[in-house]
Amino acid sequence: MPLERKPTLVSVSMQGGPPAPRARSRCGPRGARTAPDRLRTVVALLVLTLAVLGTAGLLAAQAQSSVRPPDGAAAPPPSAQDTITKPGTAQGPAQGSDLWRKIREGKSGYSATKGPQADTLITSGGVAWRDLHNATVLRYGGWLLLGVVAVVALYFLVRGRIRISGGRSGRFIPRFTLVQRVVHWFMAVLFVLLAVSGLILMFGKHVLLPVLGPYAFAVVASASMQGHNLFGPLFVASTLALLVTFVKGNGYRWVDVKWLFKGGGFFGGHASSHKYNFGEKTWFWWSVVLGLALCVSGFALLFPNMLPDRAAAQLANLVHAGAAILFIAFAIGHIYLGTIGMEGALEGMTNGTVDENWARDHHDLWWQEHKGQATTDRRRAEVLAAERGDAVAGRAGS
Amino acid sequence: MTIVGFIEGPLWYFSLAVFVLGVVWRLVGMLAIGRPKDLSVPTASSAAGAAKAVVLHSVPHGGNLGRTLYHFFAGYLFHIGLFALVLFAAPHIAFFNKMFFTLPWPAMPRWAFIIAAEAAFAGLILLYVRRLTDPVSRGLTDIDDHMGVWLTFLAMLTGCLALQEAHAGLRALHMLSVELLMIYFPFSRLMHAFTFLFARGYTGATYGRRGFTP
Amino acid sequence: MTQPSSGTPTNAAPRAVDVDAAVAKFNALTGAHIAAYLDACVHCGQCAQACHFHEVTRDPRRVPAMKLAPITKVYRRHKAPFAGLRRALGLAPELTRRDLEEWEELIFDSCTMCGRCTVVCPMGIDIASIVALSRQAFAAAGLGPADLFQAADNARDKGSPLGVTKAVLADRVEWLSDEHETDIPLDKDTASHLLLVSSIELMKYPLSVVAMAKLLNAAGVDWTLSSEGYESTNFGFLSGKPDIAKIMLTRIATAAEKVGAKTVIVPECGHAFGVLRWSGANILGRPLPFTVTHITEFLAGLVQGGRLSFKRVDTPMTYHDPCQISRRGGATDAARVLLAAVASDFREMRPTGNYNWCCGGGGGVQAMSRAADVRHEVFRIKIDQVAETGVDTMVSACSNCRLTMDESKTALQWAGTLESLVELLAENVETKASAHA
Repeated sequence: MPLERKPTLVSVSMQGGPPAPRARSRCGPRGARTAPDRLRTVVALLVLTLAVLGTAGLLAAQAQSSVRPPDGAAAPPPSAQDTITKPGTAQGPAQGSDLWRKIREGKSGYSATKGPQADTLITSGGVAWRDLHNATVLRYGGWLLLGVVAVVALYFLVRGRIRISGGRSGRFIPRFTLVQRVVHWFMAVLFVLLAVSGLILMFGKHVLLPVLGPYAFAVVASASMQGHNLFGPLFVASTLALLVTFVKGNGYRWVDVKWLFKGGGFFGGHASSHKYNFGEKTWFWWSVVLGLALCVSGFALLFPNMLPDRAAAQLANLVHAGAAILFIAFAIGHIYLGTIGMEGALEGMTNGTVDENWARDHHDLWWQEHKGQATTDRRRAEVLAAERGDAVAGRAGS
Repeated sequence: MTIVGFIEGPLWYFSLAVFVLGVVWRLVGMLAIGRPKDLSVPTASSAAGAAKAVVLHSVPHGGNLGRTLYHFFAGYLFHIGLFALVLFAAPHIAFFNKMFFTLPWPAMPRWAFIIAAEAAFAGLILLYVRRLTDPVSRGLTDIDDHMGVWLTFLAMLTGCLALQEAHAGLRALHMLSVELLMIYFPFSRLMHAFTFLFARGYTGATYGRRGFTP
Repeated sequence: MTQPSSGTPTNAAPRAVDVDAAVAKFNALTGAHIAAYLDACVHCGQCAQACHFHEVTRDPRRVPAMKLAPITKVYRRHKAPFAGLRRALGLAPELTRRDLEEWEELIFDSCTMCGRCTVVCPMGIDIASIVALSRQAFAAAGLGPADLFQAADNARDKGSPLGVTKAVLADRVEWLSDEHETDIPLDKDTASHLLLVSSIELMKYPLSVVAMAKLLNAAGVDWTLSSEGYESTNFGFLSGKPDIAKIMLTRIATAAEKVGAKTVIVPECGHAFGVLRWSGANILGRPLPFTVTHITEFLAGLVQGGRLSFKRVDTPMTYHDPCQISRRGGATDAARVLLAAVASDFREMRPTGNYNWCCGGGGGVQAMSRAADVRHEVFRIKIDQVAETGVDTMVSACSNCRLTMDESKTALQWAGTLESLVELLAENVETKASAHA
């Protein structure tokens, strides 16, 4: 029995005429629910989520007295750090500075605890790592993220939304398969959850702690860490799925160099492109490479006892933080262009189809190959997109 | 009364009451409609057909499994993960014991909890993103479907955020989201958790007596 | 499809649509089992994978679960628990005329009530039954394909959807009897078995009637046709008109009682069997005073009892299961018994038996001219199934399936052969057995 029947027959029976009068179907669920309808639903649900999660602040404020520190993790008094870095004051003048210098250099002694460097009181590598992490990665990473947001905001103010030139054609071209869209959104959901929790963990101490105070921040940080650790492993699956489902068409070509020299058309002019332009291809490889780096380093951080030594854990931490910042930085641009930045871009990833004029504007070479598939029958285009993406019957898509 | 106290006290009992009474009302109301007696002469047992259908429809049969593999895989990933979390997470068992005076039962080890949570989240997200993108399920979806998914997701998310079990605030947040879910439950399609038995049973009874349980 | 979308009326003039009548009908027909079904559907859409109409059109609207929408809307407003609360909050809008018009095509043209969707449904929802009762509501509102309703009216007024009156019946029977030198008893005073015919057979496949007569005669069965009740098809049921359904059933019951028949044999017609066997008593409101058996079931009994035997046919063949006989009728095995007795090379298709694909013309869709193009596309599934078995000959036991597939065979220029099971049996029956009996 043929499990995979080609939908070549759709035209016969897609009910002939355009489905226009059904757009506002009132009987229960159906009807081509319009995009604004769906958008409103999603926005409403987001608000609901924020309302629930927002209660966290209130709860945290109320719950101060009921905070139970994790076993053996009594919060150090504010002066504890000073105590360690200024041994003289803690231990009194009787202690020689030579001893502390040796300890400071990482000298090992006896410890009943077994484990890598368990016998070392101060691992000097840790100090170097902390400096690198705080002074370099966090500082420049933070500025990078703020910078990207600023650039995007500035671009939006100057250029505004990139409209479809000549407006919508009302003709739809299939673009992404159902599998591609499912993989994309699966990864997107995980990305948002991980990015938000990860940013709180990374920058919370500097950004949230002063605002929320130590108790409320402890709540938020605990939640972020648990959530981050939980969603991390799923991100591995989504990254691999992304690689498999989107690799086709994402190889660099000569036209990409030309696109680059024209600034991608972001500053006027037109830059030709196939299904994916230089920016999109770079975003794809960026996601895959950084995604894999995050997965590997993330697993190292989840199971630090399996690492050979502390230096490996420190390296994993730096890689994780650095990759995350670079990934999120690019994602800000991607999300901007996919939503408010460009008219007609989002629907490719939701409905699976794009407007023909959008395709002509942004992917002219791809449009040339696929304009034969353009149809005013939106439902038919969506069905074709779901089943075979932009593949033209008889030959592979670009 | 503190907010935590309210969530873990009066609001909890209110939600529990809405949930239990609502579900009972839905089921009693449904059954009270009644159905006409089937006067045709049976060739096989209705009861056996009903029992068979309840089991049979747990897996797409008749050569259809390959066609609905996505739903089968994601659906079970979600449901098995969710049930494991609800019933076998140590804090839940402690809660049930305290709340309903039940005897303790063995809890999952932490690694199993993590796997169950991963499965439940993966399944739910996979089902939801398909609902948003597949022309067929997108066309069937209404606001109730969205609400059910989001409330369930929130309950799971807040539960996992509270994994450290160190903050009463996070615990209360989890309870709050579960309470919202419980209050919404009887008025929604989430009722399928109970009605699936009746739907399968009625079909099994109707067709079982004809000699073939579909 | 020649018909434009969204259930636009066939004729240009606006039709009167009685929404209240539809709502009342929906309410009256919603039993606890229907309520359970409507409460259980989670909108997963897996049913689309089982539906032949979705399979060939890939139309995201032609999805079985979609057909639950009108009744669900009425149920949620009127009969469901918390309906009052929903109404008070304005969350349960009333069914509208537009809903009905938009769903007309889904409820009539796009469902053969084959029941495949139930098999795949994780909730086991019997969508076909809901479509059957929805048709009653739509018909009450005045919506439905004109040709289907005409067939029902013909059945009521002339005795048969194709206009086979008593006079035509007598005429045809006499002609067939002479032409084929076969005794076809009509209106015997008494007989233990009453045979029904479908007007499709009488008008388009008359050999099928002759074949049944030959086989019953060969086995020495005491049987007759009756001009009081001869039409087995029930277009009253298919068009959602229970009054006509009841009239048709009453004729059969009257005829059976008049000749004293304890068994009524349904000919090669799927829905005729399903309606009489499983819904007949419920529509009449009393147990049937006779046993209902499909011709394949009856003949299988004769074969197993040693009263019929056949010459073996060497032509390789496969069997198309009529939905209402196999999956929803429970008589799946009978055809296999008969094929084992007559065919030396019988091959099952995949899927087969209770899970077989529909021909595309059941549930009255055969009678809707505007659904013809889609029906032909559905036949492509069957062509592929047959091709996979490697045979050229497909046998079936339903003249409605046969007519549907014959039309599609012509439209698609399929080179294979369609056969009727009873005709195949009659051609190869061994008369020695009859002498013995």
